[in-house]
Amino acid sequence: MAKSTFDQENLDPEYFDSERYEHHVPVFSAGEVEGLTEAPQTFGWLAWKRFRHHRMAIIGAIGLVVILLLFIAGPMLSPWEFDERNIADRLQGPSSDHWFGTDEIGRDLFVRTAQGGLYSLRIGFIAAILATAVGTLLGALAAYFAKGTDIFISQVINMVLIVPALIVLSIFSKYSGGNATSLAIVLSLLLWTRIARVVRGVVLSIKEQEYILAARAAGASHMRIIFRHVLPNVVGPVVVEVTLLLGTVIVLESTLSFLGLGVQPPNASLGTLVADAKGNIDNDPIRVLTPGFFIVMIVLCVNFLGDGMRDALDPRSKNERG
Amino acid sequence: MDQSPLLKVDDLTVAFRTDAGVVRAVTDISFEISSGEVLAVVGESGSGKSVTALALMRLHPKNTEITGSVNFDGIDVLALSEEEMRSIRGRDVAMIFQDPMTAMNPVYTVGEQIAEAIRVHTATSKQAAWDRAVDLLQLVGVPEPKRRASQHPHEFSGGMRQRAMIAMAICNDPKLLIADEPTTALDVTVQAQVMEVLHDVQQATGSAMMLITHDLGLVAGSADRVQVMYASRLMETGDLDDIFYESRNPYTMALLNSIPDLEGVKDSLEAIPGNPPSLLNPPSGCAFRPRCSLAVDECAASDPPIVLVGEAHASRCHRTAEIGMGVEAMS
Amino acid sequence: MFAYITRRLLATIPLLIIALYLVHVGISLTTDPRSGFYLCLPRCQDGFDQITEVYNLDVNVWMRPFIWFGDVLSGDLGTSSSIGEPVSEIIVDRGWNTALIAVPAFIISAVVALLLSVYSARHQYSKGDYLLTGLAFFGLAFPSFVLALLIQNIFGVQLENWFGVKPFNTGRKTNENFIELLRDIALPVMSLSILFISADSRFGRASMLETLNQDYIRTARAKGLPEKRVVWKHALRNALIPLVTLWALNFSALLGGSIVTESIFSWPGLGPAFVRGLNDADIYLILGIVLFTGLITVFFNLVADIMYGVLDPRIRLD
Repeated sequence: MAKSTFDQENLDPEYFDSERYEHHVPVFSAGEVEGLTEAPQTFGWLAWKRFRHHRMAIIGAIGLVVILLLFIAGPMLSPWEFDERNIADRLQGPSSDHWFGTDEIGRDLFVRTAQGGLYSLRIGFIAAILATAVGTLLGALAAYFAKGTDIFISQVINMVLIVPALIVLSIFSKYSGGNATSLAIVLSLLLWTRIARVVRGVVLSIKEQEYILAARAAGASHMRIIFRHVLPNVVGPVVVEVTLLLGTVIVLESTLSFLGLGVQPPNASLGTLVADAKGNIDNDPIRVLTPGFFIVMIVLCVNFLGDGMRDALDPRSKNERG
Repeated sequence: MDQSPLLKVDDLTVAFRTDAGVVRAVTDISFEISSGEVLAVVGESGSGKSVTALALMRLHPKNTEITGSVNFDGIDVLALSEEEMRSIRGRDVAMIFQDPMTAMNPVYTVGEQIAEAIRVHTATSKQAAWDRAVDLLQLVGVPEPKRRASQHPHEFSGGMRQRAMIAMAICNDPKLLIADEPTTALDVTVQAQVMEVLHDVQQATGSAMMLITHDLGLVAGSADRVQVMYASRLMETGDLDDIFYESRNPYTMALLNSIPDLEGVKDSLEAIPGNPPSLLNPPSGCAFRPRCSLAVDECAASDPPIVLVGEAHASRCHRTAEIGMGVEAMS
Repeated sequence: MFAYITRRLLATIPLLIIALYLVHVGISLTTDPRSGFYLCLPRCQDGFDQITEVYNLDVNVWMRPFIWFGDVLSGDLGTSSSIGEPVSEIIVDRGWNTALIAVPAFIISAVVALLLSVYSARHQYSKGDYLLTGLAFFGLAFPSFVLALLIQNIFGVQLENWFGVKPFNTGRKTNENFIELLRDIALPVMSLSILFISADSRFGRASMLETLNQDYIRTARAKGLPEKRVVWKHALRNALIPLVTLWALNFSALLGGSIVTESIFSWPGLGPAFVRGLNDADIYLILGIVLFTGLITVFFNLVADIMYGVLDPRIRLD
């Protein structure tokens, strides 16, 4: 059967990860020597490599915590409210009064950025959780029961992906109300497919393992097999995927909000803040770049965390060295 | 032996730096191959036989330290530049790899790949190279060579693929053929056929051959001399008869004892107890000592010397002399 | 081949139809083109009836999409209420503009990513490799609009402030001559390309590394082939196979991404039209664009499948 681009669960770019190839075994007859790498082998480099993935995850985690603290604690320390307007003070640059300056109607930008960031993060978390729940369930069902179920679910996935993501999202978010919950639902309706593909792949590979056959032969029920044998193996890859998904969600949400199709006033997200600032970009580019900067930082931290955890949690990315 | 050997290897050591430490895959190996001679290099997995071959062709990975000397046809191989080395590979020395399925590029036809090997070393036209490729395929016994040359590797069966690999290796009449476990990846039924092709080809072209294998049975029909390796060391070397009938090395004898024998009646298959040692932390003294039934104190204390037993026969063992006097190895 | 194409199309077109159906119903259920008319009835009864006619509002919501499907099959995509022109014309005109930036971006990012991948894979562990990998990682964290704004600001405004030159135009489409056109598209193309170069080069590097590890590369070297040929003839050909699939998916993402880029650079492509249509609940324009982009996605995925079969002789398309 020809391989089709639609059947490309093995073609996930995430799993063609550069990190994996740090440890490649050079082309020798199998069994001759183990553990070869072509990497420079100075002691310093080896130590760095050992700590690097560990360190990546930690840096990512710390970064996220710092940002969260800033967003939560910051406004508490600031005298200004989210929607407080002081027209007289409008369009000021950063000052000791207004740490990030003010916008066209005098609202304090620091508080707005912090609250907007929290709003974005909230949407991201809810969407990620929903996507994970739906995706894990459907992916596991498709892989475990195979045949008809699998074909059906796979076709649903194909259908969801047939139109460019942003276009689909734009339509459904525009017409579903601009609050956090409905946006999160819309986002998760698209993104569950990634989780489903990952879970399906993992479960399919586990299914063939002998210990599953042994359990069946011993008379274990489907539910028991799923909970005791399948799910524990799925948790690792899913955790990695969800972490990375968070980054994708935040980017998508801020893009939609930027276009005016996502978060609606009076709420604000990092995306809407960029849009607000865009009008004055020639004179005040910093105001545009600040919320943008935070988006990039959040996504970077999330990616660091996810990639750093990948080695530890995801057996699919393990190299031959084991 | 008045003419100088084609290949002369002296004190070759190949070491890799790995995450866990330095691995000595080959330690102080010295051997020779004369023109037209077939040397079989025998040993278990991890003995260093393949590493030796790759080191000879300088196809080893980057993080490798090679010391010693390799003299091929009067040329100091280890001192060559990469450019110069490239002109020797595939022309004067050619290699046949273990797994023909992965050893050939799946996207190009077999004929193209053989023709390429020809054209990179000789000034041949595309058509002439193609024709020669077809001829070579016929020589190695691939039926319908014209049709087959236009096919891709996955359309060949395992045995035919290996024949094609042999054709690719001999296309420029190399002086030395290195066959690295040429039949290991093949079905047992096909192994004999491919060995026969290899044998015929070697006889017909007169090239020397280094036959690397873990299968002593293969050796008996094809080799002039045999060299036994264990855990990066050379254990014994000699003529075919020397090794098979008058071995003076406990390891070789243990290997021979473990070949199933159709003629004699055996109670059980004799496997050599234990496992090969780690190349990271080899035991002191003789590498085979932990598994050797003839081991004495001296074996742990120092590296056994190479003891000359006959004109071309040598064994690395502290008790070589005693073995000759009737001390049998027991497994 | 023909049978294969037919089969693939039969498998995917129905999915597109279902998606279009859902979009149609979704929009119909959440918007009402007659909303402005209720207050002025019965005065504006004629206008009211006209709208009813155009949008088939007297037909059951669940049946309306079929009327639209019928119209589409006979070549009528309807008229856009927000722009006032036939949807098919809008798609052709705006689509052409979008292609003017999407196609160059696609080609540039594919070529640059390929070159970077080969370099990175050949010089693994070098400083250059680490730098490029780090840059790609960084580039992937940027949402497209942040990147576009950054580029627009630096190359458009700041360059002028610092050096007094404006080599690139930042916000319009002139139709004067080819040079002007290049100046117009330079920034949007750069913006689109950078994102895809980041994503593609990560993938390409991994694919190339995996290929370079294969036994047949060792055989090629054992034959005495120059390293250049080993990399560019033997390795690349194999590494391209999964990459081609990625490129097809890229094109679909490019179309989505151009919505943002076009808005920022005021480029009159499908993007701004789409956003406008959404804001005005212009159902026929929205459907037309969804249909168009969906068909392009299906087409490019099909092309990728075929390329897969062409590039890898082990795959037989049947």
